[in-house]
Amino acid sequence: MSTKWLKTKILISLLATYPCLGQLSAQILRIQGKVIDEKQQPLIGVSIKDTLNKTGTTTDSNGNFMLSTSKTAHLIFSLVGYLNQTREIGNQPSLTVTLKEDISTLDEVVVIGYGTMKKSSVTAAVTKLENKNLDQIPLARPEAALQGRLAGVNVSQTRSAPGSAPLIRIRGGSGSIDAGNSPLVVVDGFPGGSFSNVNMNDVASIEVLKDASSAAIYGSRGAGGVIIITTKRGKTGKPLLNININGGFANAIGHNDWLGKDEYYEYAVKYQNREYNYVGGDTSIPVWGDNRRPPQYQVSDALRNNANTNWQNALLSAAPFQNYDLSVSGGTENVKYYASAIVKDVQGTLKNTWFKSYGARANVDVKVNKSINLGLMLNPNYTRNRVSPHAMIDLVKYPPFVPVQNADGTYPKARDFWGLVVSGQTNPMAFLDGSFYFDDAMTTIGEMFASIDLAKGLKIRSSVGTTIAYSTSDRFRTTWGSTNGISTGTASDARTINLLNENVLSYTTDFNDNHFDAILGASYQKATSRSSAMGAVPGSFNNDIIHTLNNAIIDPAQTRTSKTEWGLVSYFSRIHYAYKDKYILSASMRTDASSRFGPDNKWGWFPSASVAWRVSQEEFMKSLSSISDLKLRASYGSTGNFNIGNFDFLGQIGNTYYSPNNELANAQVQTTLGNPSLSWEKTHEYDLGLDLGLFQNRLTFTADYYRKNTSSLLYNVSIPAITGFTSWLTNIGEIRNEGIELELTSQNLKGPLTWTTSFNLARNRNKVVDLGGLTERLYTDRFGMSWLLRLGEPMFSYYGYNAIGVLQNQEEVNNTPILSGSKPGNPKYEDVNGDKRITPEDRVILGNYMPKMILGMVNDFSWKNFDLSIAIQASLGAKMYNFENQYYQGNVLGAMRRSLVEGQWWSENDPGDGKMPASALSQLEFQGNSSVYIENASFLAVRNLNFGYTLPEHLANKLKMKRCRFYTSINNLFMITDKNFHGYNPEGYTAGEVDGINSTPGYNSGSEPMNRIFTLGLNVNF
Amino acid sequence: MKTTLYTILLSSVIILSGCHDSLLNPTPESVLTESNYYNTSNDINLAVLGIYNRLQSRKPSDYQILEVPTDNLYLSANTLIEGTPEMDMLSVNATNPLIASFWEASYNGIFRANAVVTNIDKPTDYKEGERAQFDGEAKFMRALFYFDLVRLFGAVPKVTSILSVQEAVNIGRSPENEIFALIIADLEAAVNQLPSKAAIDNGRANKAAAMGLLIKVYVYLQQWDKAKIELDRFFGEFGSSFSLLNDFGALWKIASENNQEVLFSLNYIDGSNGHNLSTAFLPNSGVIGIASRGNEIALPSWSLHKKYLEDDTRKKATITEWWIPPNTPNVPAIWYPYVNKYAVPHTQGQSGLDLPILRYADIVLMNAEVLSHLGQYQEGLNEINKIRERAFGNSDHNYSIADINGEDSFLELLFLERQLEFAYENERWFDLKRSGNFEKIMVEEERLFNYASQQPVKIALKPQAYMMLFPIPQRQIDQSTTGVLTQNEGYN
Repeated sequence: MSTKWLKTKILISLLATYPCLGQLSAQILRIQGKVIDEKQQPLIGVSIKDTLNKTGTTTDSNGNFMLSTSKTAHLIFSLVGYLNQTREIGNQPSLTVTLKEDISTLDEVVVIGYGTMKKSSVTAAVTKLENKNLDQIPLARPEAALQGRLAGVNVSQTRSAPGSAPLIRIRGGSGSIDAGNSPLVVVDGFPGGSFSNVNMNDVASIEVLKDASSAAIYGSRGAGGVIIITTKRGKTGKPLLNININGGFANAIGHNDWLGKDEYYEYAVKYQNREYNYVGGDTSIPVWGDNRRPPQYQVSDALRNNANTNWQNALLSAAPFQNYDLSVSGGTENVKYYASAIVKDVQGTLKNTWFKSYGARANVDVKVNKSINLGLMLNPNYTRNRVSPHAMIDLVKYPPFVPVQNADGTYPKARDFWGLVVSGQTNPMAFLDGSFYFDDAMTTIGEMFASIDLAKGLKIRSSVGTTIAYSTSDRFRTTWGSTNGISTGTASDARTINLLNENVLSYTTDFNDNHFDAILGASYQKATSRSSAMGAVPGSFNNDIIHTLNNAIIDPAQTRTSKTEWGLVSYFSRIHYAYKDKYILSASMRTDASSRFGPDNKWGWFPSASVAWRVSQEEFMKSLSSISDLKLRASYGSTGNFNIGNFDFLGQIGNTYYSPNNELANAQVQTTLGNPSLSWEKTHEYDLGLDLGLFQNRLTFTADYYRKNTSSLLYNVSIPAITGFTSWLTNIGEIRNEGIELELTSQNLKGPLTWTTSFNLARNRNKVVDLGGLTERLYTDRFGMSWLLRLGEPMFSYYGYNAIGVLQNQEEVNNTPILSGSKPGNPKYEDVNGDKRITPEDRVILGNYMPKMILGMVNDFSWKNFDLSIAIQASLGAKMYNFENQYYQGNVLGAMRRSLVEGQWWSENDPGDGKMPASALSQLEFQGNSSVYIENASFLAVRNLNFGYTLPEHLANKLKMKRCRFYTSINNLFMITDKNFHGYNPEGYTAGEVDGINSTPGYNSGSEPMNRIFTLGLNVNF
Repeated sequence: MKTTLYTILLSSVIILSGCHDSLLNPTPESVLTESNYYNTSNDINLAVLGIYNRLQSRKPSDYQILEVPTDNLYLSANTLIEGTPEMDMLSVNATNPLIASFWEASYNGIFRANAVVTNIDKPTDYKEGERAQFDGEAKFMRALFYFDLVRLFGAVPKVTSILSVQEAVNIGRSPENEIFALIIADLEAAVNQLPSKAAIDNGRANKAAAMGLLIKVYVYLQQWDKAKIELDRFFGEFGSSFSLLNDFGALWKIASENNQEVLFSLNYIDGSNGHNLSTAFLPNSGVIGIASRGNEIALPSWSLHKKYLEDDTRKKATITEWWIPPNTPNVPAIWYPYVNKYAVPHTQGQSGLDLPILRYADIVLMNAEVLSHLGQYQEGLNEINKIRERAFGNSDHNYSIADINGEDSFLELLFLERQLEFAYENERWFDLKRSGNFEKIMVEEERLFNYASQQPVKIALKPQAYMMLFPIPQRQIDQSTTGVLTQNEGYN
């Protein structure tokens, strides 16, 4: 073949295609460009569509794109979370597009049970908290970050020991007496999780399902509300490395009115003289060294000649802490990952207490093909905790004349200096130094799911998850660190394996103006646990050096293993329908069966329905441009509670002992009365809500009213003792929680200085509606205070005598209605029924542990590269039974507090402030059962102040960083309490909350001081 | 494709439903239930021990309602137990927690006994004599619980079977005579079925104990002839097995706690299965050689204290007057009287000292009482003198017929002797009541004795006849159908 022919052929071809070539040169344009956000950061994965040529592309990991298009084409740029932008091409060869963030919160996606939903179409009371710098508020527990941020979600830090869990109550709890009031925690779809395993750095968002219509999809366990924690997942793009390091120290906020040595001696003399006077003694006899005065009424000279120890300050000290967190995320189109690790080391302000935690997480998503997605989550976490052997009260009440430690390293006791009257307790520092109490826990959560697209809009998702928890507890006390000079030791361990399988079929479709989605699911859960415990025969340790039980004789009576299990089978369905995004309807049905109930009553049904009307979408509203959003909601739902023992419906035989021939022998007795008809406790809740957005949602407002009735209470009802038992777990009674919640968010300032305020308010009223035929039930503790369940009143109200002054003298004792046996100096009580004597009929309700109103406010400021966030929380109307006061009033001649002794009645001539009765252990009977120790626990606290500085981007980039923020944070910066409040912590209840009919919520004897925590931190992204 | 998927889906749902049973009906691995119990003789044996366990745990606090309200004991300021101040001041009302828990513990004991009696025929593997023994033990214990209840409350609900809650709310009080009839029937069954003390483990019921208790029941019923018949039967059968221990103090020592004077006692083990009674009365700072801490709940009343003659060995074995604080052992002892009857060296709160329920001294003094009611004063005095000779170590303090002037003064001596002999053994409350002197004696109680001034602190009280029965616990009245459980007179 000749070259000539070839040339001709090329030429012909060229000519033949010429018109086409000409057209190309006129219309086709190769353009390149970059998409960035408002902060000049490149945006990855932005979809670019050419509507004319029907072509498109996406931006790469640097935000760049290249596309062949034509001059007349329009390009649409879109990315989730950003406003779409359309650009004409014209002649420009390159293009930089800035996408604006879609700030409209209405299109925010919220996580609901078994799915997500646009916030605008939510019909229930759901609150969302996004993790914006929450991980940079260093707290031992992630729940604490929620304090004051969500309306109706009360997070109270009842104890301050390192690692101790706060108490969460949503809308007053589930209204339960015996079956618990805590919300259900769902971590990445796994119900029954716990915050203790969650690292705040991993959290993407926290959603709270407050009303029953949203919680009903978790039917069986949703009565206390549901908290859904969603962790971060990888996104397509280059690896993103995040390092968050912080450290600082905690300072206990203690009392500053302890009596020093001289004052203490003076008060001790005064106190002893009064006691001596009570028994008719002659107080002119010298207080020490005179045999005419009985020894129990003397005062040792050691009190003024010996040490001057402030035990509170000796036992508490500034405690350092440090947190290290590292995470990396990223991925390709098909595989995305998020992996993190955390190390946490928190020292307690109380000597020899600390908390350490080591955790890791891996979240991997795999797109196998167009229709199959797999996901894997793995989250091991190990914690180790050293705890105090005693409550604060047993430590700080020690008298000041005892030195902390002797020069030879031994620990003196109060009675080394003064044989009588004074506490026989061991030196508190010996308690702390001589006790070795460790708790270890290893929890591994693993979950895998597969999701298959079956058809357009139809998807099935199946998951298998496990939570494997091991915990051990080791306790050892040296001879010198014990209460009675005998070394003791125990060891116990527990294992729980929780298995869950869930299968959810979901369908979603849009036709014309209708949106419809639905789910149908089945869930199977089983938990098995095994626990074992051993103990040493007291005093059998060979020495104080080896703390493990191989150094002692094992006590058979303390040795045991046991196993237990429970299972839950659930089926559920939900439909959601919206017309024109204006009329929205949602309904669900769940049925659960629990192994914990009697054979015929295992199944419970939990329906819900809710509607919403987006008024702002109506034509007639369009003219009101200031109203950007208005939605009315109404819902009803039913939820359940099964938090009781695993085999409580059976009459159980338990072990006990007898000693025939003085040899220990097992005995067996029936310990509970079975109830084969035991079934679900149910909560029915109505909710009416309003969402309002004004001025392009610069101001948003949410209001909710709810009423929830919990009935068929799992209630340990009292029964005639002639059955052989005093109580019987049954379904009886009803409790109501009713309240309102308001949330207001306002972008006060925009521009260089931004200021956003979020305010929330919640008011809950609890009421006993039914007690199974009784009108009231009382539980009275050993010092006479009663906790009352009475129809029409909040549950567990304090019930006792109302103190109206102090009996000043014998004359007054003779002429005033008194509690039989009262003496001058005892409280004077209100004779409520006017029968001229004080009898149990004169007892009245003295308040309640529940706050009447809770307020929260968060202010966020930013200016240039600085940001500041202040979280304030206030609680109003709660009362505390601050029983610990009595230990500081002199009656055991322990440490005394000026504010508690100075107003006391001492004698007719030294009557004090007329309110504070004389204090004596012999007289406690006469005031423990009254309003004397009931204190107002209202408070206003600046829970957190967080101040940050972000390095300007060009500087960060020079350091090869994407972002770099320095921050400082102060927790519990400031708190105001009632001037007559004497506790360390207005939320510090030591006897727990409501947990059975004999609960004593609000009782405080020994809660720890709150800590003010100062932090410096650094957050770097690469 | 779609059909296949739906089939898979549907079949998996069916397969999963199959696991419902394993999820919803797990077998309790570590808990026995009423449905799989009481099947073997060993089950019944363990259940019988469970009845003793109930009394074993109740007994150490009985003093709070049987001694505190009497002239034997008064509350210290040191440890407060809810409900005791009202006992101490004779102002008990129906909400008193001590009587509430006494009632509950006693009926729980009765329930445990009823469970044994009801299920006694279920096992088929009894060895010879076992069935009779277990049945006898259960009935003995049931009688003991009812005897306490009827003496404290009068008419009480009679329960001899396992009750449902629905049945229980409609059961009212049975008259005292019906309760006593049940007690007597149970004790007679126990006498017929129980082996002798030597033939059964110590700490378990035996024939002599059942007979002794039957005597006591007739004494309380004032059926002196029947009591005499039972006494004669007792002496005939067991006269040689039981006798007074020479040393009164040895009754309260662990080494000699099981002796020829004890008919029946509850057994305890120091540290692992102990009681609080050895700790309860000790001074708070403890006592050298006994325990490092005491609870000092109550102290001996001078009203009793002063009645002990100096050479009565029971005084030293009941009350210690001069106390040496353990941390200042070298200073002179101080006047600090405390009850030492149960003060053996012990682990705090976990004493191993056995607590006698019935001892031979009681049989002797009941014999004296019965004889006097039958007009045999000299024979009666002889019995009292046996107790006094043991107490004083000689016959110098024996009573003669010249010391008495008819039945009343005989009984005065008898009840004084009972007070001194059984102080803090929970007899005083009943004896105050039985003697008819409750209202007379309890008008005033001498409590703390100020050694410096040699003056006792006197407390005026207002005893009234109705107080001799405690109120039916309000909680029980509230739990029953309205009107079913009536309150004792004086408490409404």
